[in-house]
Amino acid sequence: MKFSFFHLMPYPYLPDDFDTRYDSSALTYPNANFDPKLGASLYSRYLDELEYADQLGFDGVAVNEHHQSAYGLMPSPNLMAAALTRRTSQARIMVLGNAIGIRGNPLRVAEEIAMLDLMSGGRVDSGFVRGIGWEYFAHSINPTKSRSRFDEAHDLIVKAWTSEEMFSWYGANYEYRYVNIWPRPVQSPHPPVYIPGAGSTETMKFCALHRYTYMSVYAPTPIVRRWFDGYRQAASDLGYVADPEKIAFSVPVYVADTDAQAHAEARPALEWLYHRGLKQTPQMVTPPGYMSPGSLRGVLMSGMRGFAGASYEDLLAAGQAVVGSPSSVAARLRSLYAELGGFGQLIGLFAIGPSTHEQVARSTELFATEVMPELRPLGVAEDAPPT
Amino acid sequence: MPDDAPTGEYLELTGGRVHLFRGGSGEPVLFLHAAGGAGAWLEFHGQLAGAGFDVIAPDHPGFAMSDDFPLVEAMDDLVYHYLDVLDALGLERVHVVGASFGGWIAAELAVAASHRLRSLTLLSAAGLRLPEHPVPDIFLMPPPRLLETLFHDPPPVPAAEPGATPDIDTVLAAYRDTTALARICWTPYLNNPKLERRLHRISAPTLVVAPSDDRLIPVAHAQRYVALIPGARFAEVADCGHAMYFERPAEFARVVASFLHTAQSALSGANQ
Repeated sequence: MKFSFFHLMPYPYLPDDFDTRYDSSALTYPNANFDPKLGASLYSRYLDELEYADQLGFDGVAVNEHHQSAYGLMPSPNLMAAALTRRTSQARIMVLGNAIGIRGNPLRVAEEIAMLDLMSGGRVDSGFVRGIGWEYFAHSINPTKSRSRFDEAHDLIVKAWTSEEMFSWYGANYEYRYVNIWPRPVQSPHPPVYIPGAGSTETMKFCALHRYTYMSVYAPTPIVRRWFDGYRQAASDLGYVADPEKIAFSVPVYVADTDAQAHAEARPALEWLYHRGLKQTPQMVTPPGYMSPGSLRGVLMSGMRGFAGASYEDLLAAGQAVVGSPSSVAARLRSLYAELGGFGQLIGLFAIGPSTHEQVARSTELFATEVMPELRPLGVAEDAPPT
Repeated sequence: MPDDAPTGEYLELTGGRVHLFRGGSGEPVLFLHAAGGAGAWLEFHGQLAGAGFDVIAPDHPGFAMSDDFPLVEAMDDLVYHYLDVLDALGLERVHVVGASFGGWIAAELAVAASHRLRSLTLLSAAGLRLPEHPVPDIFLMPPPRLLETLFHDPPPVPAAEPGATPDIDTVLAAYRDTTALARICWTPYLNNPKLERRLHRISAPTLVVAPSDDRLIPVAHAQRYVALIPGARFAEVADCGHAMYFERPAEFARVVASFLHTAQSALSGANQ
């Protein structure tokens, strides 16, 4: 099992009347509510936390991209990754990912990841995401082109990384007469690619075809199980057994010295994350054309609901957060490992909503010293569960 | 209305099938629907047909019963699409009436091929970029706010049955229509910055109609159309919101029919 420390870099200081006054923490939530001085100290603190995870022996430190939101303060994950290249030494630097569906110029992403790969000494992992619904509003990108832009940007970036000859690119969304990037990445053939999945069978097949890491987004265990099984099936259809390390389970994790303390501290943090940070209208979640008819039908039939109605207890029961003392967290992750049919990477969100730095540091430390050694043997190829 | 009972038909074009309703007899009127109103022969259509016109109401690409036409991805494609539709119908010249999004298509069609139009009627047409009179974002509005924006006197929001789950096919059909709309107009949002400077090319007799209480497309848009289309006339329908042919179908049918009769007689006079 490999473990990474994922940061969303939230802006936790929402006003007391947030729940009644605002329908989201994103897109239309006025940035008058953002205090730049507090924001600057958050950045400093959050980078410290990522660096601490590297020191504690996490296999990876992860950042991602979100726009116009208190949910996550990283419009450019590559900037944060660049900062991490100089202050970490062991961990993979995971950009999970660049939102290539909404980027105007995907060649720039190929260039920046190549730069990061050199700066980090070949430690960068490159996630690609479409960008979530509200970001198509935020950057005025047509959501009906989302899939097409994502697919084309991916193909262009990988070719730009790997081609040793200048080439021209003529696609539905992008045209380049000269693709000839300097620098080229140091990892061969290119930095490992991570793709988050949320049920689309196209994405499962795409990941299996390219042998990319398929990572889950926050959802109830039975649903994540279907996604992981879908990925394993797609690999099997291609004639190979999926390497567990290419299946990444991502989940908020909170560890404290005792169960009682952990729950007391995690409850407000998780309620912030799921009820405030992720508060969105249906229009923001699913702008027109963002989902294919088949995927939308799948979501509607699965009965998946928004997070608003999920209580803290519901979230724990559904495997959308793991909370407790080190031994409780290890036991719960073991049971989730079984329920999900196995996975080889755990991407933990340790800095949750309004958690304090001291809480996050303690949680990270307990996880690294007491939970990781327990789970380390799981999820390597030889004990892969049958699909 | 029974006298003008419509027929549902399909036109085969290269890119797919276009569904249309057709009813009435007289000079042909191509009616281009708004974001709402595809796939239905409404009271408005019936009254217009009853006033002595051959009303042809197609569903836009990707709407209701028309095929997706994935290559129709921008307004210029839609203009060529409707020229194909006119050719497939064998109609050299038609009256074109368009509402809101359909009004934008109508204006673009008139700019590109004014010689194919006997007349042009714009019912609170989208299409212009007036930053000082912005159009609110319909894609971001929850349904109750959308109704308040579209109607002068909004109908009550139907109360959902407790625990009822929406019918999946209905949800998917609505999502398909909205997707077809967004494909054309997400950005620039419901406008073509170049349209204004081209409106002088319209030579067809033109009527611009605005509802008195349009909370979606401010009346300044109608006024700009009137100012820039040579000889255009303006009419207002009282006590009505943007959902024109849903809220005041009879009044809209009367205003449009009256103009079409005038345009008809002016043309027959000119042709003699």
